Amino acid sequence: MALEFTTVIGLEIHIQLNTKTKIFCGCSTDYIGAVPNSHVCPVCTGQPGALPVLNKKVVEYGVRGGMALHCKINKLTRFDRKNYFYADLPKAYQITEYYVPIAEGGYLTITGDDGKPHRIGITRLHLEEDAGKLVHGAADGRIVGSVQSFVDYNRGGVPLAEVVSEPDITSPREAREYVSAMRQLVRYLGISDGDMEKGSMRVDANISQKVSDGRWGNRVEVKNMNSLKALERALEYETLRQRDLLTRGETIAQETRNWDDADGITTPSRSKEESNDYRYFPEPDLPPLLLDDEYIEHIRATMPELPDAKRERFLSQYGLPYEDVLVLTETPELANYYESVVKAECNPVRASNWIRTDVMRVLKEQNQDITSAPIAPDVLAQLIRLVDDKKISTTAAKDVFEKIVQNKITLEEAIKVCGVQIGAVEGDKLAGIISAVANANQDVVEVIRSGQDKKDKKLKFLMGLVMKESRGQAKPDEVLKALSEFFSKN
Amino acid sequence: MELYRLSASEIVNGVKTGAFTCTDVVKSCLGRIKEKEGDIHAMLYVAEDAAIKRAAEIDAEIAEGRDPGPLAGVPVIVKDNICTADMPTTCASRILEDWVPPYDATVVIALKNAGAVIIGKANCDEFAMGGSTEHSAYGPTMNPWDYTCVPGGSSGGSAAAVAAGYAPLALGSDTGGSIRQPAAFCGIYGMKPTYGQVSRYGLVAFASSLDQIGPFARSSEDMRLIMSVLCGFDPHDSTSENRTVPNFCKNDSVLKGKKIGVLTKLVEGKLSPDLQASMDAQIDNCRKLGAEIVEVSLPKALEYGMACYYILAPAEASSNLARYDGVRYGMAYKDAHSLLDLYVKTRAAGFGPEVKRRILTGTYVLSSGFYDAYYLTAQKVRKVIKQEFAQAFTQVDAILLPASPTPAFKLGAMSSPLEMYMADVFTIPVNLAGLPGISYNTGFNSEGLPLGMQLIGPRWSDAMLLEMAATLGKDSEGKIAEGGVR
Repeated sequence: MALEFTTVIGLEIHIQLNTKTKIFCGCSTDYIGAVPNSHVCPVCTGQPGALPVLNKKVVEYGVRGGMALHCKINKLTRFDRKNYFYADLPKAYQITEYYVPIAEGGYLTITGDDGKPHRIGITRLHLEEDAGKLVHGAADGRIVGSVQSFVDYNRGGVPLAEVVSEPDITSPREAREYVSAMRQLVRYLGISDGDMEKGSMRVDANISQKVSDGRWGNRVEVKNMNSLKALERALEYETLRQRDLLTRGETIAQETRNWDDADGITTPSRSKEESNDYRYFPEPDLPPLLLDDEYIEHIRATMPELPDAKRERFLSQYGLPYEDVLVLTETPELANYYESVVKAECNPVRASNWIRTDVMRVLKEQNQDITSAPIAPDVLAQLIRLVDDKKISTTAAKDVFEKIVQNKITLEEAIKVCGVQIGAVEGDKLAGIISAVANANQDVVEVIRSGQDKKDKKLKFLMGLVMKESRGQAKPDEVLKALSEFFSKN
Repeated sequence: MELYRLSASEIVNGVKTGAFTCTDVVKSCLGRIKEKEGDIHAMLYVAEDAAIKRAAEIDAEIAEGRDPGPLAGVPVIVKDNICTADMPTTCASRILEDWVPPYDATVVIALKNAGAVIIGKANCDEFAMGGSTEHSAYGPTMNPWDYTCVPGGSSGGSAAAVAAGYAPLALGSDTGGSIRQPAAFCGIYGMKPTYGQVSRYGLVAFASSLDQIGPFARSSEDMRLIMSVLCGFDPHDSTSENRTVPNFCKNDSVLKGKKIGVLTKLVEGKLSPDLQASMDAQIDNCRKLGAEIVEVSLPKALEYGMACYYILAPAEASSNLARYDGVRYGMAYKDAHSLLDLYVKTRAAGFGPEVKRRILTGTYVLSSGFYDAYYLTAQKVRKVIKQEFAQAFTQVDAILLPASPTPAFKLGAMSSPLEMYMADVFTIPVNLAGLPGISYNTGFNSEGLPLGMQLIGPRWSDAMLLEMAATLGKDSEGKIAEGGVR
């Protein structure tokens, strides 16, 4: 009988919190691209005698993250020292919450492989400091072949929230879904930019296989996955590798492996797996942190609407299809834009259509995001209303939209530039267009008059010309009526 | 009279009234250092030029009619484990040889802002680990009253410097008695303030939950002066407490109606006869000054304090001292072929034996599998000791104890580390409980060595404690050691 496998994945995500200053000192966290060791001070370089002072904003962000993940918030928490030697760790210990994390026991809901909501358990969220960065002297920046290494402490002391999941994730796709949902959550909360490429969100995966014959493959830790795509690919590769070994009756080495994005494989981590004894103990330089009920309630009361709740509300409040809602709630900024348009009094469904197709196309062309929307929400709403009130046609509206976006002009100016007449083309105006079209197409008119236009082909041709002349602002049935009047008169 | 003999308050008066200049005072102190340093070796760095330059600035300020502050023109010596941005801070260790910190400790800034002139850095046991200053990597300090004896430790250089007249004031640090014991050995005042009373920012950490900076002085008035400058909340130290600075003002009748606790049974037989006699005399003195003597009992503090301390302090030290790895500052082994090699060779060459012993002990007690048995148990004992003191202070206002079981001992006399550790039995529990403690001189023994007593009070009783010590010590204060070999 063929073996069946179940993939078991747990993720650890380090999320850089986007506070202005570091977790234990006043240095700026805006270090990307900065001159090495220019964002440092005695505290974050571990100078003898320097002491940490906890950044209150970091605590607030930790509580917000914990609440968003449905965790229990620990009112009495404290920091511990994780002791180990490495050149990027200036004090030779990392200050972290080991014994009592600020938040524990929650969940994050994703769309499971079966298409249904799947709750991924959150073991804990704890706060800690980031380490510095080593730069090696070899040409490719790697340690192999380099005769010297440099250390940049700009990143040292940047606040991190580490979120540890339960091993509830059952496929590489779910892993990607989970990280993507986490990224969306931190962006909604405004506590991190969640950018994996920039390293502000770093994911380590633990992956193993359960075999239908009762065997359990050893757990493998996979690191160095720098994008959602890399994460999924690495875990797919690792799934196949582990299943292959297990199928052949071999055992999986319990080890740490690095994802090589270029070659598309994982390789055993070169740094030999040391069984580190971190000698955790309470950080004596920081008193225990006591969060009172009032503080916790204040945070709870000021929590933003989170993705799940927003999606639910959009579905019921605006009557949009689920696919639309998914797109519109991708970021809080886009959702806000959508709601601003709707609030400026226009049809919610049409607002959704315009934003998802026209606005987002322009953003993509201009390589911008919704924070620099090409058209103000109230202008878009006005435009949509003109169409709804049959003041202008959809075709005309698209023209006007393009002019506003490309030429950065007002709605009124755009309407003028496009030569659009506000209001429907009818009555004398329509009659005028018809006689002009008839004059220009005497041959066609003759054919119709002679009764040879059996299938009304020529009539439809004329009608098309009239519609074009009216820039779509004439109603087809009115045009038809006016045309038959024209032929009956003459 | 030579100006180095003056107290800090006399100097402040003199420079402000123009009786003499700050430059005169600083030069006199520097001369005294030159005269005695060959015998005493209390200093690791003398900032001669910088001190004279700073003195001239103070003089100029006064000449312009400005007030340089409450310590105007007073020379101060700082223990070499307190960061000074313009002088090396070695912690008496090879591993920080020539290291100049990129910043001033909060207390150093406070001294400078008060008009003090920092004239140099004092010797100590390496990273403040020891009770004799024999563990300095740069050689021991001799007791200014008898060059064959130790000045105590770890702040032995600071205590010896003040006793010998190098400066009227010095800073030390006290983790398990490192201010109170050398003050007693050198016949001066030495105070360990309540934990949280004085900022630790810039004090190179030995055991963070026990360390506290405090002053040495020959006169009680000078202690009031400097304590007023040192105390206060520091936003850079999360363990410093935001509360009003105590009012340090003279109070001769502080002992009237007070209850003073003694530990007759626990102390008996543990003291050298001269200290026992001094202790008895102090008890009589307390009574004469209107205090009631009450027998208290601190069985756990005195029985388990030592063991508790020698788990917690090394545990914290093993972590605090891990940063000396040759990467950022201090000594670095030049020919390392790997990061590990750099760590191992730098630390092997940079640390002395006592420091290594404590790092090893601390690493061991924090190791997985031993943590619960050692560190956690010690934390529980610490809590019990705190409660024991809290209980005692419901019965008495202060406790009178010697600072050490004996007066200053001979250099090299302590043959084993354990013997040395036992000498701290009366001072260590105070650090464990975060209490203030002060040593004062009660006189001299037949060999001319100072005899010191210690007063311990409840948390935040620093001002009262200082007044008690001042009242009891006033007849024997202010002497300057002239040295010699007995």
